[in-house]
Amino acid sequence: MKSGSLGSYIARRLLQTIPVILGVVVVNFLLLQLAPGDLATVLAGEAGGAPKEYIDQLRARFGQDQPVYIQLFNYMRNLLVLDLGYSFRQSAPVLDLLLARLWPTLLLMGSTLVVSLGLGILMGLLAALWVRTWKDHVISVAAIIVYATPLFWVGLMLVLVFSIWLDWLPTSGMENVVAFHEGWDRVVDIARHLVLPTVTLSLFYLALYARLMRASMLEQRGLDYVTTARAKGQSDRKITTRHVFRNALLPVVTMAGVQTGGLLGGSVVVEAIFAWPGLGQLAFQSLFARDYNLLLGIFFMSAVLVVIVNLTVDVIYVFLDPRIRIG
Amino acid sequence: MNRRFVLALTLAAAALGGLPAMAQKSGGTLVQITQPEPPNLAPYISTSAPIGQVTAKIFDGLLEYGFDLKPKPALAESFEVSSDGLAITFKLRKDVKFHDGKPFTSEDVQFTVMEALKKNHPRGIATFRDVTAVDTPDPHTAIFRLSKPAPVILKALSSYESPMLPKHIYGQGDIKTHANANSPIGSGPFRFVEWRRGEFVRLDKNPNYWRSGLPYLDRLVVRFIADASTRTAALEKGEAHVAGLGAVPYNDAKKLALRPNIEVSTKGTEMISPIVELMFNTKLAPFDNAKVRQAISYAVDRQFAIENVWFGFGKPAMGIISSNFQPSGLFAAGIDFTVADRVERANKLLDEAGFPRKADGTRFEFVHDITPYGEEWQRFGEIVQQNLAQIGVKVTLRYEDLPKWLKRVYTDYDFAVTSNFLFNLPDPVLGVHRGVHSDRIRPGTVFVNGSRWSSPETDALMDKAAVETNEAARGKLYAEFVQKVSEASPVAYILEVRFPTVLSKQFKNVIDTPLGIYGNFATAHRE
Repeated sequence: MKSGSLGSYIARRLLQTIPVILGVVVVNFLLLQLAPGDLATVLAGEAGGAPKEYIDQLRARFGQDQPVYIQLFNYMRNLLVLDLGYSFRQSAPVLDLLLARLWPTLLLMGSTLVVSLGLGILMGLLAALWVRTWKDHVISVAAIIVYATPLFWVGLMLVLVFSIWLDWLPTSGMENVVAFHEGWDRVVDIARHLVLPTVTLSLFYLALYARLMRASMLEQRGLDYVTTARAKGQSDRKITTRHVFRNALLPVVTMAGVQTGGLLGGSVVVEAIFAWPGLGQLAFQSLFARDYNLLLGIFFMSAVLVVIVNLTVDVIYVFLDPRIRIG
Repeated sequence: MNRRFVLALTLAAAALGGLPAMAQKSGGTLVQITQPEPPNLAPYISTSAPIGQVTAKIFDGLLEYGFDLKPKPALAESFEVSSDGLAITFKLRKDVKFHDGKPFTSEDVQFTVMEALKKNHPRGIATFRDVTAVDTPDPHTAIFRLSKPAPVILKALSSYESPMLPKHIYGQGDIKTHANANSPIGSGPFRFVEWRRGEFVRLDKNPNYWRSGLPYLDRLVVRFIADASTRTAALEKGEAHVAGLGAVPYNDAKKLALRPNIEVSTKGTEMISPIVELMFNTKLAPFDNAKVRQAISYAVDRQFAIENVWFGFGKPAMGIISSNFQPSGLFAAGIDFTVADRVERANKLLDEAGFPRKADGTRFEFVHDITPYGEEWQRFGEIVQQNLAQIGVKVTLRYEDLPKWLKRVYTDYDFAVTSNFLFNLPDPVLGVHRGVHSDRIRPGTVFVNGSRWSSPETDALMDKAAVETNEAARGKLYAEFVQKVSEASPVAYILEVRFPTVLSKQFKNVIDTPLGIYGNFATAHRE
């Protein structure tokens, strides 16, 4: 019975997201029209100059000689059958370009989520247990420093220390392009390349989650139900793991869901530093090239990702806190 | 001009590098860094700088060039220009196969020039404008028929500028959205294997390359790293071996040169010849006055900019034509704006032009747009700002992104003075004429005559030089032209950039043509 209601809940939520995603696409489409300059000029600029006939020819090919509302109508019509269009700059279908970048993005996002949430929760938990001791202060001060340090600086310093000085890890890229490992060697190689970008991107969020977890733990510990549990004769250890910890997780999980969108944004910097072939870099490049087909595709895919993550978070609530009902 | 002009080239391919094939160590992977990542690998529809850095290894040209810009045989064993300059006959090699095994013939030359380059290549449209037909009397002879002489063509047949395409591949379907735009097939020393977007392009050795024994390298990987510091780190660590054309910041190049495993070369821009300029809007007061333009040209401290912004990788420009054309006799110097008393001269010119210093010491002010190509351009803008303050001209800097800047400068002409970065390319007809010819004042077309200055005399000189097949006579025409342009100074030519190429000492012979990193790396080998 319960799984049935969960299934219908997810289906309903997914249906509700369709207008949200369409709205995102329309708003982005119109916003992009406001940016001065267009793809044809950029292509001609990259070419170091081109005759006017060439530029006009390009514009006609891109459909930019049509009025905006017709361009929007065409785009939306194609989107309904998941045709995201063609990137004229990259000479490839947008969907292919996106899918090629999706797995590196998910890999980096996934590993960052695991590391930042795992370590963040652990550190927050420890800080709360050791509250007002020197250990708590060390964790809290470290969290503030990390939180306030710019991502790009952390990234560059990690490269300097771990790649150049210690020579433990590669500077950049996703795999070794001289060796081109296969099988398990390749998995190990990619994992080695994943370490620095993950650490860089995780540090910021780790600090955020640690502080949130600590505050949340302390708040829960002062609530009435803890007093009740203690009166029942439950051990401190059991109270912490069974009750306080689970309840304290809720705000952290909520924050993690909200931050996924930000994670995509933050990964632009990290991807650039470590030459990680993810969606963030693609978005950055296509914005400066006014490659709107590709950019809209990326917005579309990011919107879908964020919606999926938030839905997952809502489902996780149910398992963490049985009082939360869905439907 | 009516003199019979014949240039037969040596047949022997071995004469090319002059290196015996056995002496070099074969094998190895060379990792090149190219920045930014190319948008596609279709050099026949785009001349975007990073594309050629990859595709020049995959395709061959009819000719190659020495550092003196003189042609050498490649796919064409020899060529002959008819006495009236209206026909160029190329004898093609008979042993060339494309990467898919099909032979290279004159049909491919005809298709490449007439269908691909003349119709779609941003510069080819101009280069091959006067080619009316390419005749193919037999599979190994191609004759270009011209409506008027065009000596520029013989400078524009490198694998970078005019890559020879297989007709049986690119002739199928629409070439503008061709399926092979991202998986090119050519006849060059390396064949395309894989492009992982955002990461690298992998090229493997072409085992059937027509120069036997070449290439020496087994593999060439071109990596894309968006962050400049990481590019430097990768080179420093030896994860990458070669990077050029601005991929490494100038100050980092200087730093890397001190490392024992790395060398930094400034060769390999002889056929590119980039020039840093300040372009004036000559339709806007006070820049409609040649004296004002000259004064500003005098005021800019070229040597200071070279040392402090380009970290020594440049030399002062002496006019509209780069000194790289000295060996071919097309270079001439204009007015020397680097003289010792240049600041006094600038002040005097502005007084004469009717802009005396006001009570606050200034004469006039304007907004200086900055080429959106990176940090060094901002530094250069600041130098201009300081230099012009010395002569009482107040400058405000404006930095926008590339599409916005292109539209402002070349479509709306909504600017006063902008820095600019134009390449002379292999011939003045391609890279120089566009900046000052009256037929290149075209709103909406980028990197042409944005100053909108022209004169009947300079137009006539350029038109004559474009059809003059005698190099010495061409040189005379250009000398007069350079002088006239520098008198009018619609653009202040500031400096010639000598792009540093950073190279690992593990590899030799990497940069061995005037195209530098646009070369094909066939003779590059491990130490």
